[in-house]
Amino acid sequence: MGDRDERASASPGRNVAGEAPAPEPVATDDDVTVHEDGTELERTIGLVGGLAIGIGTMIGAGIFVFPGIAAGEAGPAAAASFAIGGVVALLVALPAAELATAMPRSGGGYYFVSRALGATYGTVVGISLWLGLVFASAFYLVGFGHYAAAVLAEVGVAAPIDPVIPLGVLFGVLLTALSATGTENAAKLQNVIVGVLLVILTSFLTYGTADALGVFGAGAVPEQFAPFGVGPIFSTAALVFTSYLGFAQVATVAGEIKDPDRNLPLAMVGSVVIVATFYVVTIFVATSAVGSENLREFGETAMVEVSREFFGVAGAVAILFAGLLATFSSANASILSSSRSIYALSSDALLPRRASEINLRYGTPHVALAMAGGPIVVLTATGRVELLAEVASFLHLIMYGLICAALIALRRTPPDWYDPDFRMPGSPYLPAIGGLASFGLIAFMAPASIVVGVLVMAGAYGWHSYYARDVTLKGKL
Amino acid sequence: MTDRPSILVPLRVLEGEPLEPGVVELLSGARVVLLGYYEIPDQTAPGQARMQFEDRAQNRLNDLKAQFEDADAVVESTLVFTRDGDETIERVAREENCVATLLLNPAAAMDDVLVAVRGDRVIGRIAAIAGSLFDDGTTSVTLLNVARGDERVPKGEALLEHVRSELIDAGVEPARIDARVETARRPIRKIVELSEAFDAVILGESDPSVMTILFGEKSEQVADRFIGPVLVVRQPREEDVTDGATE
Repeated sequence: MGDRDERASASPGRNVAGEAPAPEPVATDDDVTVHEDGTELERTIGLVGGLAIGIGTMIGAGIFVFPGIAAGEAGPAAAASFAIGGVVALLVALPAAELATAMPRSGGGYYFVSRALGATYGTVVGISLWLGLVFASAFYLVGFGHYAAAVLAEVGVAAPIDPVIPLGVLFGVLLTALSATGTENAAKLQNVIVGVLLVILTSFLTYGTADALGVFGAGAVPEQFAPFGVGPIFSTAALVFTSYLGFAQVATVAGEIKDPDRNLPLAMVGSVVIVATFYVVTIFVATSAVGSENLREFGETAMVEVSREFFGVAGAVAILFAGLLATFSSANASILSSSRSIYALSSDALLPRRASEINLRYGTPHVALAMAGGPIVVLTATGRVELLAEVASFLHLIMYGLICAALIALRRTPPDWYDPDFRMPGSPYLPAIGGLASFGLIAFMAPASIVVGVLVMAGAYGWHSYYARDVTLKGKL
Repeated sequence: MTDRPSILVPLRVLEGEPLEPGVVELLSGARVVLLGYYEIPDQTAPGQARMQFEDRAQNRLNDLKAQFEDADAVVESTLVFTRDGDETIERVAREENCVATLLLNPAAAMDDVLVAVRGDRVIGRIAAIAGSLFDDGTTSVTLLNVARGDERVPKGEALLEHVRSELIDAGVEPARIDARVETARRPIRKIVELSEAFDAVILGESDPSVMTILFGEKSEQVADRFIGPVLVVRQPREEDVTDGATE
C-alpha cells in the first residue's frame, strides 16, 4: 500500500445546510493515514486491541444474559442456535474483512455500503447502525442492571422496588457522562477487562465440561436435545444474534488499526470464532449442569446459579463480577461505536456537521455521545430485554446483508481503487449465502421487533430524502 | 562542518507549549524535526479531531517552524493526530533517523549545558551532537559521570577524557569543556540535583528494561524534575537504516 488513491473528480453534492462531504485522505499505510496537506493520523490499535474490541463487545450478551432465556426457548438445542448465529456472523465477517482491508477507514459497514451502493443505502445503513448500537447498548445496560441487582440480593440488601431498571438507567447516564468527560485511556482498560473475563470463563467452562462429561464421577443425565422442535432453534438464533454484533465494531475503527491488511481480517474473523466457541460450550455446560428448565427460571443471571452449582458462593461471586464487567464493557463499546457512526455520517454531510463537534475542554465528541447516550437511557428504561436485543439484531442484519451485496457489487465491477489485500474465498456464492442468511434470520423475529426496525429504516430513508438528497458518495474513496 | 544531526522536537501543538529562545538557540546547528501532535482520547476518531483542529494546529506549527528557521536551523515539520503520543514520537524519530529527542522545558539562554555520560553505547552520538551544537564558542559544556561507588571513579574519568577529546575533535573549544565524576547510589537523583545550575541537560536513553516499563524512561524522570530542556540521545534501534545520517 502507500500508493495514492484515485480521487473522484465529480462534485459530491451538498446537503440542505450547504455542507459537502469532507475530503478523503490521500494515502494510507501501515502506521498512518495521510491527508492532503501532510497531516497524519496515527494508527495505534494492534491485533490484541482489535480482538479486545470485538470480543469485549460481544461476550457480555451471549454468556451473561442469554443462556437462561435461550435454553428456556429451545432447550439444550440453544447451543445449535448459537452455532447458527456464529456461522451467519462468520459468513458476514469474511466479506466485511475484505471490504475493510480495501477501505481501512473509520465508519465500518456504513462506509463500505455508502461507497459501493451509494448515499441512499449509506444513510439507511448509517442511521441503522447508530440506532442499532443504541438498542444494543440499552440491552447490555438492562443486563447490567440484572447483575447489579443480583449483587445487591447476594449481599442481602432488600430494595423496596425492583432495582434492575433504575440501576441500568443510572449506569447508562453515568457511562454517557464518563465518555464525554473522561480522558483516561479506556482502550488499555478494555484489554485488561477482556483478558480477565477470558481467564474466568475458561477455567469455569473447562471445569464444567469435565463435569458434564463425567470426569468427576457420574456425568450429567442428558435431557432431550430439542424438546420444543426445530422452529425454536431458528427463532432463538435470531434472538441471540445480538451476541455477534461486535465484529463489525472492529471495522468502525478500521482507520485506527495498525497494519490493517493483516490485523483487520484476523481481528474480525478471530473474534467471531472465539466467542462462538465460548457460547456453544457455555450452553452445553449450563444445560448439562442444571437443565434447561431451571435455566429458564433463573433468567438473565442464570450463569450465576450454574457457577454456584459447581463452586458454591465463591463461584457465584466470580460470575457476578464477570457479568458486571462484561455487560458494562459491551455497553461502553457500543456507545463509542455509535458515536463513531454519527461522526462518519456527519463527515459525509448526511447528518449536520455539528453532530461530530469536539468538546474543547475534554477533546471528546460530546454532541455525538449525547445523541447516542440520550436514546440509550430512554430505551434502557423500557427494560424490554428481548425487544431491545431483536431490534438491535434487525438493524445490524440489514447492514450485514447489504455488506454482502456491496462485496458482490464491487467484485463484479471493481473501481480502480478496489484492491483488497485480503480476498475472501468462495465469492460470489459465500457472500450471497451470507446476505440471504442475514435477511433470513429477520423472518424468525417477533413481529414487534420487525415493526420497530422497519420504522427506523423508513425514518432514515425519509431523512435522506429531505436532508441530503444531492449528496453522492458512490465510488468515492 | 559536520553533518547536521537530526533532532526530534515533539510538542503538543494545541496546548500552547511555548518555544523559549534558549531552545531555539540550542538547536540552531541541527536539522530540527518538529513534530506537532495532538493526543485524542479513545472516544474520538482521529479524523474527527483533524476536521476541527487541523487549521489551527497547522498555523501554530508554521509559526514555530519559522522561529527555528530565523535561527538558521534546518526544519521539517509534521502534524500528527494520535491516540498515543509516545508511539508517534518513536515512529517519527525512527522514520526521520533522529539521533536525539528534545524534551521541552522553558530555557531563557544557553550558556551552560550539562552532559551526563554513562558507559553507554550512545557516546559517539552524544559527542557528534554536542560538536554540532556547541562549536560556536558561546556555550560551556560540563561532562558528568555519576559512578555508583568510589572504585568506579577511575573508569568514569577515563570515559570522560575520551568524550572530551571527541568533543574537541568536533570543534568545541577545550577551555569551554569541564569534566567531573561524582559518586552516588542513585545517579538520576544526583543528575537532577546538579542540573539546577545549568540551562539544559543532555543524556543518553536507557536500555529498555523492566524498570523502564514500570517507572518510565529515566530521561523523562529527569525532564519532570529539571526546569530546563532535556535532550535525550536515542539508542540506535535495530531497524534504523543508517546511523544519524542527514537525508
